[in-house]
Amino acid sequence: MDISKYLTVGALTRYLKMKFETDTHLRKVYLKGEISNFKAHTTGHYYFSIKDETSKINAIMFASNARKMKFIPKDGMKVLLMGRVSVYEATGNYQIYVEDMIEDGVGNLYVAFEQLKEKLSKEGLFDKKYKKPIPKYPEKIGIITAPTGAAIRDILSTIKRRYPICETILFPSLVQGDLAKDDLVKKIELAQNYDLDVLIVGRGGGSLEDMWPFNEECVARAIFASKVPVISAVGHEVDYTISDFVSDLRAPTPTGAAEMAVPHISELEEQLKQYQARMKEAMNKTINYQKIYFDSLKTSYVLKNPNAIYEPKKQQLDLTYEKLRTTVMNQLQQVKNEFIILKQSSILKKPNRLYESSEQQLKHVIDKLEMLNPLSILGRGYAISYQENHLVKKIEDVKVGELLQIRMQDGIVNTKVLSKEGLKS
Amino acid sequence: MKKEEMKFEDKMKILEQTINELESGEVDLEESIKKYTDAMKLVQECDKQLKEIEEQVSKIVLEDGTEQDFSIEREENTLD
Repeated sequence: MDISKYLTVGALTRYLKMKFETDTHLRKVYLKGEISNFKAHTTGHYYFSIKDETSKINAIMFASNARKMKFIPKDGMKVLLMGRVSVYEATGNYQIYVEDMIEDGVGNLYVAFEQLKEKLSKEGLFDKKYKKPIPKYPEKIGIITAPTGAAIRDILSTIKRRYPICETILFPSLVQGDLAKDDLVKKIELAQNYDLDVLIVGRGGGSLEDMWPFNEECVARAIFASKVPVISAVGHEVDYTISDFVSDLRAPTPTGAAEMAVPHISELEEQLKQYQARMKEAMNKTINYQKIYFDSLKTSYVLKNPNAIYEPKKQQLDLTYEKLRTTVMNQLQQVKNEFIILKQSSILKKPNRLYESSEQQLKHVIDKLEMLNPLSILGRGYAISYQENHLVKKIEDVKVGELLQIRMQDGIVNTKVLSKEGLKS
Repeated sequence: MKKEEMKFEDKMKILEQTINELESGEVDLEESIKKYTDAMKLVQECDKQLKEIEEQVSKIVLEDGTEQDFSIEREENTLD
């Protein structure tokens, strides 16, 4: 016998669990049925079964998901739920781990809601860039809701309490039933003509079906198209409608919408007081600053010592004067020096020298001239021969028998050439 | 509130802007005094507006387009 063929219970269970968990169909199961054996554990987990006419499956909803539930499940309630199917090893039971659960009957609406939400979201109707700012101090507020009931009463009483100076105009509308969506659209369009600062669109709490008109596409589009900023106020805090997503601001309740729409008048008065105080403070600062500036001017050296204004100029004048003076003096001195030099010059001291030297020079010239005077040579025994006033330098200049005049130192001797005799040199 | 007047919202915006300017200290004295005087006038105007304006009566726009005064109590009494 081969014992190794035999599995442990744990092994089999783990195998089964693995089978469950690898089956894609079982990872996300949409299931409808009726709740039975419902127990809310102190840990916050829900334990119950889902059954129909033929079958039953154990179900568990962990606290993390149970907390998000908008209703408390109870036995006999018909529900639509979503979860994964797996095996709880300790008991060997398969069960559905519920992630989300809504009441059946509203199921179709729920799907329609999700589909419309996705469609409009894809179109960008919920985009932040389209959200218009809500004015802080509205003067005229439009309200679209039923003329009776908690919603209008809450809105009006809140506005009157907080900001009674604001005009309110009610555009009465059906807010539930088949005709409501068209009425809402009509009133939203009508409200555009009333010069409103903000428009509150809403109704009080109720069932999902009651609030359904606010999940209608035409209402959503009318809100989106509104030129007036829209605050949506549908039902209670937990109720979300398509109108909430598409409006410029979502209020949790009608009262909340009124609070968001208007400031509190006493807060406003307080704000004005604060403005006043801040302005005074700022003004004081500016004046103080100017005063300090003025004081600093007043006590400035120049104003305290007016001399200071022209003292530098005076100094400059002195300086210029001094410079001028030295320049002039220098020039004067230079002229004076030249004069002294001139005065001391030898010529002025002995003006004789000017002509003394000339006399000497003349004498020298005369001497020179004297030396060159041919007649002076005659004194030394030389004589000059002329023939009819021509100087006779060579023997061939004269012929025998001609007359010659001989110039001596003291006179002329008239001679006759007797013969010529050349010197042999 | 009279419509021909500047809107309260605009007045508050001007006030805020003026205060910021004054607080910046970048406005010269003469300009500051002018701004301050104007803003103070505006503050008083706003304050007066808040205190003196009577409580508004709510209106309802009927199906035929006419407007009527509206009060919750009357409405509910006539319906009850």
